[in-house]
Amino acid sequence: MRRLDYRYHMELLFEQPVNRHHFTLRCLPGENERQRVLTEQVRIEPDYTGGFETDSFGNRCIYGRMEKPHERFLVDVTGTVQTEQNMAVRDTQMHRLGMYRYPTELTAMGASLYKIFQKASFDGESIMEQGKYIMEAVFGHFCYEPGVTQVTTTAEEAAALGRGVCQDYAHVMLALCRQRRIPCRYVAGMLVGEGASHAWVELCDKGNWIAFDPTHNCMADDRYISISYGRDAGDSPINQGDFYGTTGQRQKVCVTVEEKQDSFV
Amino acid sequence: MQIEELYQYSDTVNELLARYGVKFGIYKNGTFNEQLFPFDMIPRIIKKEEFTCLEKGLKQRVAALNAFIRDIYGKKEIIRDGVIPEEFIYMGSGYLAQCEGVLPPKGVFTHIAGIDLVQGKDGKWYILEDNLRIPSGASYPMIARTICRKSSPALFEQNSIVDNRDYAKLLRRTMDYVNTGGHTVILTPGRYNAAYFEHSYLAELTGAHLAIGHELVAENDHLYFVDYSGKKELVGAVYRRISDEYLDPMNFNSESVIGIPHIFDIYRKGNVAIINAPGNGVADDKGIYYFVPKMIRYYLGEEAILSNAPTYLPFYEEDMKYVLEHFDHLVLKDVAEAGGYGVVFGSEMTKEEKKKFVSMLKEEPRRFIAQEVIDFMDIDIYEEGKLLPRKADLRAFVLMEEEPVVWESGLTRFSRNPDSFIVNSSQGGGFKDTWVMAE
Repeated sequence: MRRLDYRYHMELLFEQPVNRHHFTLRCLPGENERQRVLTEQVRIEPDYTGGFETDSFGNRCIYGRMEKPHERFLVDVTGTVQTEQNMAVRDTQMHRLGMYRYPTELTAMGASLYKIFQKASFDGESIMEQGKYIMEAVFGHFCYEPGVTQVTTTAEEAAALGRGVCQDYAHVMLALCRQRRIPCRYVAGMLVGEGASHAWVELCDKGNWIAFDPTHNCMADDRYISISYGRDAGDSPINQGDFYGTTGQRQKVCVTVEEKQDSFV
Repeated sequence: MQIEELYQYSDTVNELLARYGVKFGIYKNGTFNEQLFPFDMIPRIIKKEEFTCLEKGLKQRVAALNAFIRDIYGKKEIIRDGVIPEEFIYMGSGYLAQCEGVLPPKGVFTHIAGIDLVQGKDGKWYILEDNLRIPSGASYPMIARTICRKSSPALFEQNSIVDNRDYAKLLRRTMDYVNTGGHTVILTPGRYNAAYFEHSYLAELTGAHLAIGHELVAENDHLYFVDYSGKKELVGAVYRRISDEYLDPMNFNSESVIGIPHIFDIYRKGNVAIINAPGNGVADDKGIYYFVPKMIRYYLGEEAILSNAPTYLPFYEEDMKYVLEHFDHLVLKDVAEAGGYGVVFGSEMTKEEKKKFVSMLKEEPRRFIAQEVIDFMDIDIYEEGKLLPRKADLRAFVLMEEEPVVWESGLTRFSRNPDSFIVNSSQGGGFKDTWVMAE
């Protein structure tokens, strides 16, 4: 068990004012067997009208609209989460599992994915073992390199390239699992340290979601805080916006997670 | 007064229809062409007893389809019970994961259903396809009837033809039934849409606001119509004539500029009705069509009153075998296509095309359905003083209130090409009025 202090800080800077700005944020860690939210503070600027909701993937969302012109959009979420190691997340909506078993546009199979799929040995019987084989195959195939892929890069494109970031690792792993009809989902979240947000995958084994991190070739433990779930990255972006104005924009994202010093285990 | 007297007004009626703007826009190769939707004066006539039977079958079918969509985005019992294999849901393009767990106002998904039927030479009706997304076309026979009544009032006075000009009233009741409180709006993508005439005509007749995307805003969990002075009025029902994909850039295609950001979030909270419900495509997929009679049995415990055209799913080994053996007698349809596209006749393929198609079929069996070619009944059209037989189908409209209601008319579309079976308006066909007899 750990207590983790986190901060998700995002700033969008526009060169010229924009208006009629709509946003949906999935930046609030959810509660489950693996993590408990102890404290949470949210700051969003400028003022907006909107509300809270839970989407079809179980994510807590803040959505809103800023009518007036503005040059900066700021989201700052801080809080403390208590995480558990080696705990599977129990699925409470098993009837929705089907959607996680089939390819999406971003995780559709292609020639490069088939190659990895055929190379990976699947001796394992359990979902856990199969997941580990697939994770290893993905990890072995990829070279971590930021800047060569985009948010819209598909699993097949990333696999053909052989390079990418955590989102690409996750998408490729999802595609391969789905080829075996293993229900699996994309997880956006944070990892102890400083930098960008992270992404990994969860596989469902008899109603329990087990977390694999193909970027690091390991199981996700209590150093991970999950934020949003979906069939792929497109289902559950941490922040998503739509505004009027034809102008350049710069996005700064800073995520920090550190273990609370005064915590006792 | 004989029906033949009507024919002499053909040119005048078509001229008036054109003046009212009864047109059909078609995008082809990147250019927009607006063409008239040719109207033929000879109506399809359906006898009272025949229509009563159709009505029963249509109500039953739409009730089952509505129950199916509700089940799919809810508990999915039909999958659990093995009636429909889950790949037909999740591999299809119509399923929208965003709709999981969303129950629309009053549980209505299929507010307006357009069910396409054909009548075989033996007189038996067959369902050709279900349209549960944004079926268009009701306005055409409605305005044609209005004009024809003016050209020969006596004909309509002396014959007991059920008046079909009440469609707007039915539509209004359907919209009011699910309205969550506030105005009713018809949302149009604008005048370059193929069915813009219909959008404006229905708005006029139902008394709904005709709006484009940016006139509607989501605020504080509710939807508002913003008028020219900036005043905001609460909206309780949106009959949107925009496909799911473009409805809301924050929940579906983010590139959409014709939608309303966050309308789906408000709908999820139950604070506005969207007509028809997003996600209905899961039920009108050509692959799902095969399962509709099974759905009727499953949800209603009844046998289907109206038959499907005999359909085979190559997904099942047995059906694949049949399809390969009888390839030349079948029509093959790509389940992902609509509007008459992706339809090929086995008999019309060259050897090479056939070989290519069969290998595609074996690779992706779920992508196709095969059907017996129904030799459907011809209906005469009147052209340059002559009567010419043409293939025609019927789109029946079923509107959902507390119970499904069938509009006592329908859109009869005919193929202008004597050799073609494809009657879709987007393929250049024409239309007829549909007379349901009162006695």
